[in-house]
Amino acid sequence: MRKLVPLLALGLSLALAQGKITVWTHFGGPELAWLKAQARTFERTSGTKVEVVEVPFEEIKQKFILGAPQGQAADLLVTVPHDWLGEMAQAGVLEPVGKYVTQDYLADLQPVAVEAFTFGGRLMGLPAYAESVALIYNKKYVKEPPKTWEAFLALAQRLTTGSTFGFLYNIGEPYFNFGFFKAYGAENVFGKDAKGSLDPAKLLIGGEVGEKALQFIKDLRFKYNLVPEGVDYGVADGAFKEGTLAMIINGPWALGDYKKAKIDFGIAPFPTPPGAKNPWGPFLGVQGVVVNAYSKNKTQAVNFAKTLVTGRNLVAFNQAGGRIPVSKSAVRQLAKDPVVAGFSQVFPLGTPMPNISEMGKVWGPWKNAISLAIQRPDANVKKIVEDMVAEIKKAIGR
Amino acid sequence: MKHPPGLKGFLLALALLLGLLLLATGVGLLGYLALEAYLAPPGWTILVLALLVLVPGAVALGRLFPWLTDWYYLLPALAFLLVFTLYPIGLTVYLAFTDYSGRKNGFPDRSTETRVVAQEGARLVLEADAKEALRCDPCQGEQVEAYAEGHRARAKILEVEGPSLVLDRDLPFRAEYVAKVNTFGFVGLKNFAFILSQANQALLPVFTWNVVFALSTVLLNALLGLVLGLILHNKALKLRNFYRTALIVSWALPGVITVQVWVALLNYNFGAINRLLGVLGIYPIPWLNDPDWAKVAVLLVNLWLGFPYMMTATLGALSTIPDELYEAAKVDGATPWQTLWGITLPLLEKPMLPILLSSFAFNFNNFYLIYLLTGGGPAEEGRLATAQATDILISWAYKTAFSAEGQSAYGLGAAISLIIFALTVLISLVNFRFTGALREVR
Amino acid sequence: MRKVLGFLFTGLALYGVYWFAANRLFDEGSYRKQVAFGSVFVPFGWAYALLGLLGLVALILLYSLLYTALVNRLQGRRRSPWPLFQEGVTHLFLWVLILLVYYPVVQVVAASFDPTNNLFSFRRPDTGFLLLDAKVIPYLPNPSLENYAALVEGVVLYPYQGALLLLAALALLGVGGIGLLRRLLAQGEWMGLWQGRLLFLMALSVFALALSLSPRQFTGQGTEAKFLLWVRNTFLISGLTGLLAVLLTATAGYAFARFRHLPGRYPMLLFFIFVQMFPGFLALVAIYYLLSRLDLLNTFTGLVLAYSGGIISFGTWVYKGYLESISPSLEEAAMVDGATRWQVFTRILLPLSAPMFVFIFLLQFVGTYSEFVLANLVLTGVETWNVGVGLRSFTTGQFQTKWGVFAAASVLGSLPILFLFYGFQQYFVSGYTAGAVKE
Repeated sequence: MRKLVPLLALGLSLALAQGKITVWTHFGGPELAWLKAQARTFERTSGTKVEVVEVPFEEIKQKFILGAPQGQAADLLVTVPHDWLGEMAQAGVLEPVGKYVTQDYLADLQPVAVEAFTFGGRLMGLPAYAESVALIYNKKYVKEPPKTWEAFLALAQRLTTGSTFGFLYNIGEPYFNFGFFKAYGAENVFGKDAKGSLDPAKLLIGGEVGEKALQFIKDLRFKYNLVPEGVDYGVADGAFKEGTLAMIINGPWALGDYKKAKIDFGIAPFPTPPGAKNPWGPFLGVQGVVVNAYSKNKTQAVNFAKTLVTGRNLVAFNQAGGRIPVSKSAVRQLAKDPVVAGFSQVFPLGTPMPNISEMGKVWGPWKNAISLAIQRPDANVKKIVEDMVAEIKKAIGR
Repeated sequence: MKHPPGLKGFLLALALLLGLLLLATGVGLLGYLALEAYLAPPGWTILVLALLVLVPGAVALGRLFPWLTDWYYLLPALAFLLVFTLYPIGLTVYLAFTDYSGRKNGFPDRSTETRVVAQEGARLVLEADAKEALRCDPCQGEQVEAYAEGHRARAKILEVEGPSLVLDRDLPFRAEYVAKVNTFGFVGLKNFAFILSQANQALLPVFTWNVVFALSTVLLNALLGLVLGLILHNKALKLRNFYRTALIVSWALPGVITVQVWVALLNYNFGAINRLLGVLGIYPIPWLNDPDWAKVAVLLVNLWLGFPYMMTATLGALSTIPDELYEAAKVDGATPWQTLWGITLPLLEKPMLPILLSSFAFNFNNFYLIYLLTGGGPAEEGRLATAQATDILISWAYKTAFSAEGQSAYGLGAAISLIIFALTVLISLVNFRFTGALREVR
Repeated sequence: MRKVLGFLFTGLALYGVYWFAANRLFDEGSYRKQVAFGSVFVPFGWAYALLGLLGLVALILLYSLLYTALVNRLQGRRRSPWPLFQEGVTHLFLWVLILLVYYPVVQVVAASFDPTNNLFSFRRPDTGFLLLDAKVIPYLPNPSLENYAALVEGVVLYPYQGALLLLAALALLGVGGIGLLRRLLAQGEWMGLWQGRLLFLMALSVFALALSLSPRQFTGQGTEAKFLLWVRNTFLISGLTGLLAVLLTATAGYAFARFRHLPGRYPMLLFFIFVQMFPGFLALVAIYYLLSRLDLLNTFTGLVLAYSGGIISFGTWVYKGYLESISPSLEEAAMVDGATRWQVFTRILLPLSAPMFVFIFLLQFVGTYSEFVLANLVLTGVETWNVGVGLRSFTTGQFQTKWGVFAAASVLGSLPILFLFYGFQQYFVSGYTAGAVKE
C-alpha cells in the first residue's frame, strides 16, 4: 500500500504532464473565440487538453523569457511579432521549428514572412499573419485617397476645422513614423553586412536621413498644423471611430473597431513626403506562433501550432478579426476582401522590422528623439539626431 | 533561566535562532530533493517540511534554553524578513556586479542550435562549420549545451576546427544537438562605472529632481494641509465634520485610478483642465508635453493626492495642544495672529516634524505617481531614454530593468537599486537624527 | 539665528520658483499663444471669474452686515459683523476647494455613463451653455449603463451566493442604521457591540462569497466581463495579506515594546527598520525566482507571501509604539500573580490592541488593493488578476483604450475602498498618529 501511493501519484502527474498544453495569447473578442474553437477541435482529434490563457501583449515577452526555463511558461505563444524573435531566441526560450515543418508548408508562405521568422539561419516560429500601418481614410470626407503630398496637405488642412480633423496619428511612436524615415532614404533601421544579414553597427536612421525625417515630423505639427499636441494613439483612434477624423495612420488591428463604429473606410499608402527620394513605406510586422524550448509536451504543442497556421484556418481567422494571413493560398481565397486587397498594395512598399535583439536598444532613444522634435517649435533637429545616434551606439556597444 | 547578558548573549541567541532556521531550511531542501526522485512534489513542500522541523525544534530548544523563548515572539517576522526581504536584497547585490540581462541569462541560445552528426568521446562533429553555426569567434572557452531527448549537459569548448568541436569533458549520452550558452558573469564595478560615465545624462539630473520633487511636494502639501487644518480645527465653524469628511476623498480613492484620470484631464488640446483655462482666457499649458511644465503637473497632482493626509495629520497634531493655552492667551489679550505665531505653530513643530520627514521619505520613492502620470517623460534633451524629465531614481531603475527602453538590463537595474537603497538609508539617518526617534527607543 | 536662516531659505526658494517660472515655464517655446483645438476661448475670462468671486464675497459681506444689524436691533446687542463675514468667506473658500477636489471624480463618474467609450469627444455640443460647449462640464447627451453592463456581462450567480450578497448588504445597512441612531439617540452600549457584530457578519459573508465564486461563473466574452472576478480575487489576496500582516507584526511588536531586557533588541530593531528601506519591488527578479522555486507562481498564496514582506517593519513599528503608550502596570501585576508572558500577551494586550490591528489590516488591504507591478509579475492570465492589473490593462492594452469601461470599473472598484476608508476613518487617523506622532 505504501509503495502504491507514490506510484499512483507518479502516474497521475505523468498523465497530467502529457495530456495538456498551455497557450498564452493576447487575442481578445472574436479572435480569442476562434482560438478557443481551434483548441476544442484539437482536443477532440488529439486527446490533448489545451488551456488558453489570456496574457496582455506587453507582458508576454518578459514573462516568457523569465518563466520558460523555470517551467513556468506556456507551451505555445499565439502570437508574437517577429521583432521579438532575436531577443527571445538568444534567451534560449524558443524552439527552432525548422525540423518540424515540410517544404510544402514553407513554399505556401510569403518569402517575407519566412525571412522575418528566420533568426540566425533558423526558423524560430510559424508565421501566421502580417501587419503594417497604412493611411486609412474615412470615405465620408475623402472620396479618392490623395496621391501626392500637395493634394494630401491641401485636403488635410481643409478638413481640419473646429470640430473635425484632417489627419491625425500616433505621432510619438517610431513604429508609426518609420515610413518617413524610409522615404528620406533609410532602407531599414540597420544596414546589411556582406553576408546579407543585418549589421547592428550600421545604423541608417541617423545622419541626414534622420534629420530630414524628424524635420518632416516636426513640420507636421508646427508648420502644417496637422497633428496638434496631446494626440496619441487613443486620441487619434477615438476621433476616427467617432467619425470626426478624415485620415489616420493605423494598422489592421484597429479595423474591427472601425467596422463596429460603422465607418466607411478605405486603405491606401501614404503619399511621398515633400523632398523625399523614395516612396513612403511602413514597417512590416509578421506575427506568428512560437514554441517553448522547455515545453514538456513539445510534440503536441508543435502539432497544435501547425494546425493553427494552415491556410484554411487562417482564412477563418481573418474572418474573425480581419488580420491578413501570410499563407499564399489563404490570401488567394481572400483576394476580394477590401482590407486584404488594400493592404496588399501597402505591404510591398514596406520593410520587415529588424528581428535582431539590438533593435530593442533603438526603440527607446528613437522614440525620445521624435518626442523632442515635436515638443517645441524651436527644437534643434540636428542635435537631437546626434544625441540619438550616440545613445544607441553606446547601448549597443555595451 | 536568565538570559545571558550583553553582546555574548545576543550573539548566542542569534546563532541558535539562525541555526534553527538554517537547519529547518536544510531539512526542507534535502527532503524535497529526496522526494523528487519518487514523486513530483510541488516546490512549497520545502516550506511545509521546514515548518515540520522548525516547530518541534523550537520547542526542544526552548526546553534546553528557557531564556530563548522570548525570542520566539520575533521569529515569525524575522523568518519572513529573511526570506522575502533579505534574500531578494542579497540576490540584487549579487546581480549588481554581473551583466545579467534578459538576453544574457545563462541559458543556451537556441538560434545557434546545430545538429551533431558524429560523436567520439569529447569530440563532436556538427553538420555545419562550427564557428559559423554557433556564432562564436573565437570559440575557445565558450560554454555550450549538448542535448538529446531526456538529457542535457554543459561543457566548455577547448578547440574548434571546421565542423568539429573538442569539449572539456566526455558527454554521458549521445548528443543530438548542441547550442552556445549565453553566459553571464561577474563584471566587477562595471555597472556602477557605466552609471557614473553617464552621470550627466541620468544620475545627476534625476537625483536633483528627485530631491527637489520630494522636498517641494512635502512643503506644498504641508502648507495646504496646515491651512485647512487650522480652518477646520475651529470648533465654531459650521459643517466642520462635513468638510473634514468630504475633503479626504482624493486620499481615499485608489491612486491607480485617479492618477490615470489626471493624465486625461491634463491633455494639452483635449484635456478638461486646459479647456477650463481657455474659458478663463488662458492659453493652453503643456502640462505633460513640456519637461518643465510636467514637473509642475507632477507637483500639482501630488498636491491633490496628498493634502488630505497632511490635513488629517495637522488636525491630529492640533488636538494635542491643550485648550488652556489658548484661553490664557485670550485672557492676556493676544490677537488671533499672535496666538497663531506664538502658540500654535511652535507647538505644532514637534508632532509635525516626523510626519513631514516620513512623508519626504515616502515621496522620495513615489514610484506609482511618476510611473502612472508621466511615465517619467516627457523627453528632455541630452538625457537617456530611461531617465527623462520627471523620472525619479526608482522609476529610472524600474525602466532600466523591466521596461522596453531598458531591455531587461537586470544587472544595471540592480546597481541602480543599490544606489537608491544607500540614498534612502542616508536620508533616513538624517531623518532619525532630526527627530531622535531611534534615541528614544534605546 | 534660526529665524534669519529661515528667512534666507524661504527667500532663496521663492527666488528659485520665480526664476523657474520666468525662464523655463513661460518662455516662447513652452507657453505658446495658441488656442486649444475645439475649445472655447474667452479673452479675459479670468477677470470675469474674479469679478464673480468678488461679487460672492460682496454678497456675503452684505448678508453679514444686514444679519448682524437685524440681530443687534432685535436683541439690543452690539456685535461686530466681521466674524460672520469671516465665516462666510471661509465657507466660500472651502466650497471652491471642494469643487476643485471633486472635479476629477465628477469627470470619471460622467465618463462611466458615456456609451461612446471615448476618452475625448471632438464634436462640439451646441447647447448655448458656455461651460458645456467648452466641455469643461462633461456633456452627456445620451447617458447609458452600457459600460457597467459590459462589466457584469455573463456573470452567473448561484442562489446561495445571492443570499450571501443579500446578507452582506443587510449587515451593511444595519451598521449604517446603527451609525445613524448613534447620532440621533443617546449612546447605548449595545450600539457599538452590535455594530461590531454586524461588521463581522458582513466581512464573513463577503469572504465566503469571494471564496465560493469560481472563474467558471464568469462567462462573458470580453476581458472586462471578468471585472467582478478581479474584485473577488483582490478581496481574497488583500484580505489574506492583511490578516498575515497582523499575525506577523503582533508578536514582534510586543517583543520590541516589552522585552527591554533582551540584549540586542536595539540592533534587531535597526535591522527591521533598515532592511525595509530597500525598494522592494525592484527585487522583482529575486521574488520571481523565489516563488518559482516554491511553485507558488501564479497562485494567490505566492502573491500574499510576496506582499507580506513589505509591511512587517512598519506594522511592527506602529504596534510597538501603540503598546508603549499603554501602561505596563496591569501586565506586571498579572506577572506577579504567576501569568506567563504569553498569557499576558493573549489575555491582556490582544483585546486592547483591536484598533491597531484593524489599522494594520486596513493599511495592508488598501495598500495592496490596486497594486499592479508585483501582481502583474506573479499572476498570469486574466482570470487571476487583481483589480489593479485589470484597471491598468484597460488603458495600456496593445493599441487599445477602453475609457468608458475603465471609468465604470474605477467607480465600482473604488466603492469598497471608499467604504473602508470612511467606515474606519478614526482607525486610520489614530493609527497614523500612533505610528508617526510620538510625544
